[in-house]
Amino acid sequence: MGERLSVAVQGFHPSSFLSEETGRIRDITQGKKVISAVSGGVDSTVATLVARQALGDNLLPIMIDTGLLRAGEPEQVKDRLSRSPISLKLRLVHASGRFLSSIKGETTAEEKRKKFRETFYQVLREEAQKEGCEYILQGTIAPDWIETQGGIKTQHNVLEQVGIDPATTYGFKIIEPLADLYKDQVRALGRHLNLPKEFSERQPFPGPGLLVRCIGSVTKKKIRVLKEATKVVETSLSPFNYEQYFAAIIENKFAKDPSTKTISETASEALGLPKSEVHAEVFEDRVTGVKGDQRCYGLVAGVKLSEESRETYGWLQDRLRQLQTGIVEKFPDITRVALLVKERRGGGPLSIIVRAVSTRDFMTAAVSPVPWKILKDIGQQIMKEENVSRVYYDITPKPPGTIEFE
Amino acid sequence: MTTIPVVYVKGQYNHLIVRNLKELGVTSKLLSPSVPLEQLESMKPDALVMGGGPQSVRSPDKLTGELADAARLIRQVKLPMLCICVTHQLLATAFGGVTEAARKPEFGPVEISVLDDGRILEGLGPSFTAWESHNDEVVRKPDGFEVIAKSTSCSVEAMGHEKRDIFGVQFHPEVSHTTKGVDLFKNFLGIVEEHKRT
Repeated sequence: MGERLSVAVQGFHPSSFLSEETGRIRDITQGKKVISAVSGGVDSTVATLVARQALGDNLLPIMIDTGLLRAGEPEQVKDRLSRSPISLKLRLVHASGRFLSSIKGETTAEEKRKKFRETFYQVLREEAQKEGCEYILQGTIAPDWIETQGGIKTQHNVLEQVGIDPATTYGFKIIEPLADLYKDQVRALGRHLNLPKEFSERQPFPGPGLLVRCIGSVTKKKIRVLKEATKVVETSLSPFNYEQYFAAIIENKFAKDPSTKTISETASEALGLPKSEVHAEVFEDRVTGVKGDQRCYGLVAGVKLSEESRETYGWLQDRLRQLQTGIVEKFPDITRVALLVKERRGGGPLSIIVRAVSTRDFMTAAVSPVPWKILKDIGQQIMKEENVSRVYYDITPKPPGTIEFE
Repeated sequence: MTTIPVVYVKGQYNHLIVRNLKELGVTSKLLSPSVPLEQLESMKPDALVMGGGPQSVRSPDKLTGELADAARLIRQVKLPMLCICVTHQLLATAFGGVTEAARKPEFGPVEISVLDDGRILEGLGPSFTAWESHNDEVVRKPDGFEVIAKSTSCSVEAMGHEKRDIFGVQFHPEVSHTTKGVDLFKNFLGIVEEHKRT
């Protein structure tokens, strides 16, 4: 446990990649200025450093504050990237009001993502016009376009691969130096470029930010509570070396679909526990999943075990796997299963779902065996927020889940 | 140098097959299934790998354009071939087998029992964990093929042609969580090398 899956990256040669790609970027841009969209994540940072080698001062890195980043993140990223040896002068573009109003009232994952993408490129278009730039550079990597093209989810940074021509739609062209690489290869390239470890090994954070972890409608309250829970989960799980770990938020509204009525029974059978020990519910809001290479916008089952069984089963990975496969096999509309860690009766209207996975390339992911004691401790800390009445642990691999929720 | 194009039928892991092959020193890239045969031949391929995809082959007469094209390649190309997930099902139906909705669909880790650990599954027996993602499955293997692996939920996890170097696997050897997947690709490359010599 805790070992990264990708220490060595076979068959990928950062130096030859770099000389080929910088040459290609020079050929395309012909001495013109290029805006680089930086999020502070490893992909966009490495893409920017590759382009800087090719373009020097003709590269203008900007970071858009969408209001959906983690607490204090834009300023932190700007500050850290400005230091030696990276010494990147990042300009912050504040647009949080625009992003929040564009997604207001949207409840489905794809509509939220599409609204985000639209605002993202509108902002970039304005910046490109201001600077007189014809080209935008971004850190798109292989899983981004593969998932968008396959209809799994709309990544905010994918246009051409799904038939949108950025030149006619937004008035600029796009350069994606890393489009054929996977995360572990990008990290290797980052190390080759002397990127400090805090960036080359940085925990991934999705472009649309907390938007995709705020299940269903987005409100200021949900985002505020989610930012706090994110801090708790990141602080508690960062020592474990899981490739990805975070919190998501969902409202305690439950589906009344009769077809899922027998779910508690299925759950108790899968676990080999008496019916009285197991109670399962299905949330109303849907989350993104993938079954048989198809997008499956499915339901989340929340399973509650009696206090005593929870203490025993909370850390039995094989049993939890049986629980998850048992439910997903039987109910085609359910893609996710989460186990209740802690609850407060009569508490607030929100639940937090904790997720931690191991993955090499973000194409498949296994549930990480977070120690039960740590999960309970996380639950305890998150429950200090009165709007949260339950904390769950997501026990779904990818597939049938995805790593993020929307 | 060995050249093995990967036929892209819009599955999420198709590009990972290219990555696996490149890591093993093979020249590879994604190829549209609608590629004309002459163009394919001009690449001088030594074998073909076909990936998975979101389509269904339950009704062989109602295939999507991509799968109809892929079926044409399966019939016309006489090279060693490895077909994964939906193209494994396509391979079965192209040779007269039957694919139906799976009684128990499989997503994520599955224990695979090896029935014949010669050739493509050499060194993988008696069992190994593979990752899967399928709603349909092969329920009757085609004549001329041998079932070489199964799981508790699926009776045809892998099959091989009795005479030719054609293989189908329901699971995904190309994803990193199928830790022995790379051995399957190595075995396939060994078969390709042998085929080149004869």
